[in-house]
Order: sequence, then structure tokens, then C-alpha cells
Amino acid sequence: MPHLRLIPPLRPGVSSDDACLEAFRRELSYIHRTFLRLGTPAAEAEDLVQELFLVLRRNWDEYDPQRPLRPYLFGIAFRIASGNRRKRAREIPSEVFTVTDPRPGPEELFESNEARDLLLEALDQVPLPRRAVLVMHELDYVPVAQVAAALSIPIFTVYSRLRKGRRELDKALRRLLRRVEAP
Amino acid sequence: MIRRRGERSIDADTLFEHERSIVEMSSSLRARMLGRAEGALRTREYVVPKARAFPRPAPFPWTAAAGLVCLAIGAGGAAAYELVVRAHQPLLPVAPAAETSPTPETPAEEGAASPPIARPSTPARRRLLPSPARGEAGREELRLLEPARAAVERGDFALAMFPIAEHARRFKLGRLAEEREALRVRALVGLGRYGEARRAAAAFALHFPRSPLLPAVSEMSASGG
Repeated sequence: MPHLRLIPPLRPGVSSDDACLEAFRRELSYIHRTFLRLGTPAAEAEDLVQELFLVLRRNWDEYDPQRPLRPYLFGIAFRIASGNRRKRAREIPSEVFTVTDPRPGPEELFESNEARDLLLEALDQVPLPRRAVLVMHELDYVPVAQVAAALSIPIFTVYSRLRKGRRELDKALRRLLRRVEAP
Repeated sequence: MIRRRGERSIDADTLFEHERSIVEMSSSLRARMLGRAEGALRTREYVVPKARAFPRPAPFPWTAAAGLVCLAIGAGGAAAYELVVRAHQPLLPVAPAAETSPTPETPAEEGAASPPIARPSTPARRRLLPSPARGEAGREELRLLEPARAAVERGDFALAMFPIAEHARRFKLGRLAEEREALRVRALVGLGRYGEARRAAAAFALHFPRSPLLPAVSEMSASGG
């Protein structure tokens, strides 16, 4: 009876608000970290996390709890991050005012370590579409098919972005290390 | 921030390994974000689709504006073309020839049976054309087409084709183009050139889909088939 699926599952005692907030609470660190991994400046990450929560709540009733939550969240985060990037490109045409510091702000400093920072800095050299695929597949261990579904792109595109992104990442890493070792 | 790392080579896989585990964010930041989320639930800030219920301000009719601009440009071009043509008028031998053709000997009431093709009406939309020499160009067009109409009414279809061709050459997109093309279909049917008549009728329907002459034109080409 497929039509029954149109009716959202009702769990007695748990409202959508509570369930959504609970999921958000559980994955808050992941969401925040994902934005940083996608190259959002730390100063803006907080606002984008809030934006993600609004989107999540708006769509919560359509969300199927059987589906893994993180790829779903990642898909939302990716769209928000790319929108934000476009907006920044529009609003700040001058290089002088551009805030491109991807490093963690003062509040996150204590949790940073060199390897993480280095990776984020190298990832910054990879354009967002490929960066997202890399992060999702390599860091979150999301299978290629699910990456494709979450980002609404064909599977072959995922593969090609992975390959090219990986090349770009290696190159950026070599450049960074050379710069570090030069002086 | 990035310091020397000894001799150990660092590749992306090593870095991925480090970054895979999610570090907990600071508790102050966490508390602030959760607070904002709870606030959004209380104020139902997330309910955006409601906003669509408000009547949106009517969008500026860009399409219509663009259409008007195109129309104005086209009319300007046509006017310029007519001016050029008029400047060269002495060189055109055909127009006077057309004038001297059957006009005088054909009273307009003669062929009552023929459909109202050539009635040189000027529908309201024509007034949109800001042609400076509207009256004069209109008279010239009429002078060209009137013999064609008369010839069609007489059943002299072969003769009608000449003024029609001449009008098409000089006022391709003129204000009587609609009437001219209707006359053309009628004349072609009369001559038994049914294939051409059908094509002309199809072109007529394409160019003047809202023409009051369209039913008559379709009927003509259909009867000819």
C-alpha cells in the first residue's frame, strides 16, 4: 500500500521539534566541522549552522529516519556553503576586504592540531564541488553512490571529481610543504 | 601555523586519517548554537513557506516591455525603409503601372460574393505603430492593393498577382500585409495553385494567428484542396 507512505510516521510523545532538535544536538559538532571542511570561514560558520538547522527543521517531516543522517546533513551543508560562497563573491568584489582565513577562530584554537589545519589549508586550494566530494568520501567514508545521491550528481561525476580533486589536493599539499620547508 | 615536520613525508591519506574523527566543539560555542536553534523553534522562524501566502508585488512586465521595444524598433526600421524607398521612387516603374490598372472601371460593390478580404480596415492595434508618415504610407499601400482587391473580385486572379507581389516587395511588413496575404491566398486558389495556396495560408496563420481574416483564409485554402 504505497499511499500509506504519504502519511508521516507518528511517534507518540515525540514532536517533530524535539526529534529535529535532538538530531541537531547529536550532530552539532559534525555539522560545524563540515562547514569548516568545506572552507567556510570560522567567523561565518555559526550563522551557516543556524541556517542549516532552519532548513533541517523545515524538511524534517519529509526526512526518512531510515536514511543515514550525516550524508543528508552534508548535502544541506554543501548547498548552504556554496550559496554563501557565491554571496560573498557578489558582496565583496574587492580583494582588500576579503576574509579568507579558513583557520579556526579563537574558540576552536584549543581543538586544533597541525595535521587538521594543514589539511584544511590544502583543501582550500580545491574548488568547492570537488572539495565536497573529497570530504564526503574520504573523511566521512560515504559510499560513492550515496555521495551522488546527496549532492544530486551522477555517479561518474563523483568519480571524476574524486580523481581530479585528489590530484589538486596532492599538488596543494606539496606546495604548502615546500613553502614551509623553504625558510 | 605550519611548521617544519622533519623528514617524514606527509601525504593526503595521513592527513585524512587525522581529520576523520570529529573533534567536539567548545562548550560555549555549542551552547550558543543550541540556544539559537531552540529560539528558532520557539519563534517558528523556520516556517518560511508561509511568506508565499502574502500577495507578491506584481512583477514588472519585462516581456511586454521587450515586445514593445521590439515593435518600436521594427516600426522605426520600416519607416526608415519606406523613406529610402520613397527617395528612390522615380526609379520604380511598377507603382504607376499598378495605378493605371483596372481601378477606375471596377466599382467596389461588384463582387459581393467574395469574402471580406480586402476591406482596408485599420484595427486598433495598428495605432501602436508610431510611424510619422503613417497616413501617407497607408495611402500608398492602399493605392497598391486596391487594384488587387478589385481584380480578385472580378475573378481576374492572374492580374491580381502583380500588385500583390509589388506590395510584398515594397511593404513586406506593411500595415496591409495581412490583407495582402489574404488576397494572395484567394488569388492562388482562384488560379488553381492549391499547393501554394495552402502554404500561403499556413504562413498566414503563423504570422497573423489572431487575424479576423484567418477563418476566411483557412476556408479558402481548404475549399481549394
